[in-house]
Amino acid sequence: MLTPYSANELFNWLRQKDDFLLLDVRNEEDFGRFQVESPHKVDMLNVPYFDFMEEEETSVAKVPRNKKIKVVCAKEGSAQYVGEILESHGFEDVGYLKEGIVSWGNMLAPVRVNEEGEAFEVWQFIRPGKASLSWGVISEGELSIFDPSRNLEFYTEFAAEHGCKITQTFETHLQADYISGSRFISKAVGSKVYGHSGDFMGASFDYTAVQNGDIFKASPNGPDIEVVHSPGHTPGSTCYKIDDTFVVSGDTIFLVSLGRPDLGGKAVEWAGMLYETMTQKIKTMDPTLQILPGHYIEWAEADEDLVFMDTLQNILDSNAAIYGISTEADFVEFIKQNIRKQPDVYAEIRKVNAGWLDPEDDEQSSMDLGKNECAASAYAAQQSA
Amino acid sequence: MSEMNFDQVLDCKGMNCPLPVIKTKKAIDAMDSGQVLKMVATDPGSKNDISAWASRTGNELLNSEQTDEGYVFFIQKK
Repeated sequence: MLTPYSANELFNWLRQKDDFLLLDVRNEEDFGRFQVESPHKVDMLNVPYFDFMEEEETSVAKVPRNKKIKVVCAKEGSAQYVGEILESHGFEDVGYLKEGIVSWGNMLAPVRVNEEGEAFEVWQFIRPGKASLSWGVISEGELSIFDPSRNLEFYTEFAAEHGCKITQTFETHLQADYISGSRFISKAVGSKVYGHSGDFMGASFDYTAVQNGDIFKASPNGPDIEVVHSPGHTPGSTCYKIDDTFVVSGDTIFLVSLGRPDLGGKAVEWAGMLYETMTQKIKTMDPTLQILPGHYIEWAEADEDLVFMDTLQNILDSNAAIYGISTEADFVEFIKQNIRKQPDVYAEIRKVNAGWLDPEDDEQSSMDLGKNECAASAYAAQQSA
Repeated sequence: MSEMNFDQVLDCKGMNCPLPVIKTKKAIDAMDSGQVLKMVATDPGSKNDISAWASRTGNELLNSEQTDEGYVFFIQKK
């Protein structure tokens, strides 16, 4: 029996280091552009489904017989097709990914960040298909979400499971690499949306403009959420400090880099702003603060519980090549050296996030697929790899 | 380019993969060498799939374009 599996099940198997073969049957170009990334080493093979169509025996012979086979394709039809061929050749444990690679791209995995028994709960929502992170704070039955993606169903189900309601969402900036979920969530459950006017001025939806030093509450008697305006990646980039303990840093601070300031097309000007943010805002913060970034670059940045979090001190120390630069001129030069092209779709995603474009659901899914390109460094290594 | 010459038309509109490629393969198998098949599909995935399938099988993708009726492919049997 060919068994369907969900993206969440796949993630759990990867997380538990289950032994199986991930057989991706998309064409090589699509596979090369975007594929499943696992927290641990995964056994993966790409044999396009039309290879099974053209040369069944040779293609089947490429698939190991001693393993469970999990087939992945674009939607799910081709994975079923290949799965049936494998079964007809005597493979016994074959599954196909429901709704295809897009469901992997949209999937969110929740991980509790702070200890059980604390007065409020901090949650990390990993989106492995994007290498992006959104964050949640539950306090007195109220859920605040930072940088939600457009997977509305996930967030509403998560809220229901934890007996809370989504009351507010905070945007760290106008995202260029994925479609924000704030206005969809707001429309569905009436939550408030917060963002900085440096990015959201002129947005087509209602939002509350935040300013440096503003303090909001996670719930009436809950922890403070303090606004730290941190321009550079974008003019309206903002960090949110929670309870003087955690900092949701968006695309300003990454665990192994800073957010690239060249996406807006004004690299030198925004690099100057970022330098000022780095020296005046980031380095003056309490070094024991726990940084909760908007993206990761590699799974290796996560701890054993898959939490992407580190103290500011550790980040500054282990990334001295960028955080240690001591003049603006050198900093701008560093940024220039690391500039690379951004995906064409980013311009369109910005318009969607400002509410100026409202494409069909399918179109949004396809715009939203693929890993982010937001870090200012750690790029050269990938180029030469 | 829509006025390209072709010998047969295959309508795969509304079908999801793998059907457009399966049907294209069947149609091409039944044609003579040098003949051209016009195939129309609406599944965006067929764009890269048909191109990869053609280069794999040696049939030539003479042209592909996105039109109002969908993705249109002209494939010449090798």
